[in-house]
Amino acid sequence: MDFLLLLISAGLVSGAAYGMIAMGFALIYKATGVVNFAQGELVMLTAYVAFSIAGAVDLGFWSLLAVTVPIAMAIGLTLERIFIRPMLGEPAFAIVMVTIGLAVILRGVTIMIWGPDPLDFAAGLSREVITLGPIPFYPAQLYAIGCLAILVGLAYGFLRYTRVGIAMRAVAANETAALLMGVSVKRIHAVAWSLSSAIAAVAGILFAANFKLGPDMWFQGLRSFPALILGGLDSLIGAAIGGLIIGVVETLAQGYLGQGLREIAGFVVIVVILMVRPYGLFGARDIERV
Amino acid sequence: MSALLALSNVQVLYDHTIEAVRDVSLEIEEGRIVALLGSNGAGKSTILKAISGILGQEDGEIVGGSIAFAGHDLRRASPASIVARGLVQVPEGRALFATLTVEENLVMGGYGLSRADTETGLEEVYSLFPRVRERRGQISGYLSGGEQQMVAIGRAIMAKPRLLMLDEPSLGLAPQIIDSIFDTIVGLNGSRGLTVLLVEQNAQLALSVASRGYIIENGRIVLDGMAETLRTNPDVQEFYLGFGTSGTRKSMRDVKHYKRRKRWLS
Repeated sequence: MDFLLLLISAGLVSGAAYGMIAMGFALIYKATGVVNFAQGELVMLTAYVAFSIAGAVDLGFWSLLAVTVPIAMAIGLTLERIFIRPMLGEPAFAIVMVTIGLAVILRGVTIMIWGPDPLDFAAGLSREVITLGPIPFYPAQLYAIGCLAILVGLAYGFLRYTRVGIAMRAVAANETAALLMGVSVKRIHAVAWSLSSAIAAVAGILFAANFKLGPDMWFQGLRSFPALILGGLDSLIGAAIGGLIIGVVETLAQGYLGQGLREIAGFVVIVVILMVRPYGLFGARDIERV
Repeated sequence: MSALLALSNVQVLYDHTIEAVRDVSLEIEEGRIVALLGSNGAGKSTILKAISGILGQEDGEIVGGSIAFAGHDLRRASPASIVARGLVQVPEGRALFATLTVEENLVMGGYGLSRADTETGLEEVYSLFPRVRERRGQISGYLSGGEQQMVAIGRAIMAKPRLLMLDEPSLGLAPQIIDSIFDTIVGLNGSRGLTVLLVEQNAQLALSVASRGYIIENGRIVLDGMAETLRTNPDVQEFYLGFGTSGTRKSMRDVKHYKRRKRWLS
């Protein structure tokens, strides 16, 4: 029984990391209709930026976050302006190719600046074990789950109640009509990129604090893909829940079935779920009136 | 008297090659309802897209002529600045944000407005269309066609238009609903002097409310005049109002008399 609880809790922690990374994917996909293949690299880059900030000034977790997130947003805006804005109006496939190129560039830049060796990064969190009931946790693990919950709450409020958030959903629903209402689609795309980078920073810091900070961290972007598909590509909350499900399924498969099955388990889950629900758990269906 | 909206010799190309609209000139005076009539593919919607500045969405481009609204040149203006000047379009087929609720659609109509203005705007739309108030919390994609058209018009009203352009508001609606939609349009024109550019295939209906009409065919304006004159014109009666006497199909273009008349005028 303890073993099961231990697996589930470990699964929720890695699932929270998947969820946060997948939320970044979902936000850009929702607003721009493009899967940003550089999302994993954004997560890695912003984690390294946070590492350098933490090395220069001694900050607690929340102040580190407060400093890193605006920098991440500026990075996201800059990348959008340089690489994505000129592609506006081009086919989605061409833009996806640009994001793949961007991913390679970011990987190279990261290794150039911070070197190829993994680094130890505590992100201002202590490493004393906290015991909740029978299960021991590192603080970073609890922070990961907590931050996922906070991000879900913020994303829900943003998309439901703010004018820019509603405009983002409007652009997703009908871009031409959004233009006709005076919504600047360019600005909405830029906002999506900057907010997605902010989410990437939170995800990156917490992933690095929980696991490790290394130049292969970008691969977590691809690892989060099943979570994104499971949640339905364009649903932020779906991505978060998808992340948790995939995380738990993966650790359970690893614990009970064997080490090698961890990598496959997530993909098996999405194949099964997509057979039943082709739009994912929370994806938007096309509305058809009968 | 100078016109509120004036197009002169506008030419539109799609994909740099396909000429959709050629030498179109039209003028709309403040406070009037003007009808732009024509059959499928004549270029009516292209003209509206050119005015709203959204041709870029479909690889279209204004290559000649000028568009002026209240003295401002609109050819290089962004869609957002055109809306901000009070030139608002109700697009063809409603084009609601289907996944958003009715109220969210309306809020998007007043995207550039302050919070207080949004509230008064919503109240205004709800008093105009009581049915829309009942449906405010519903996902707009599931409304009936008539209700969607009301939301689409309400959404445009939210932007506080000086000139409202409607692209085939009667499309796919039951006659009774069309009547009530047109009553509303005429009402808005009468009560607050809203200028209206009405694009329609249904010439009879459009000419019954408009003061002036333009007829477009194959991307050219072939005829224009007061609505009354157009209604009694024998060619218009034959081609657009269904009073034809002969069984043979002719085209307005065969009527030499009208051909390219607008060109020498402008």
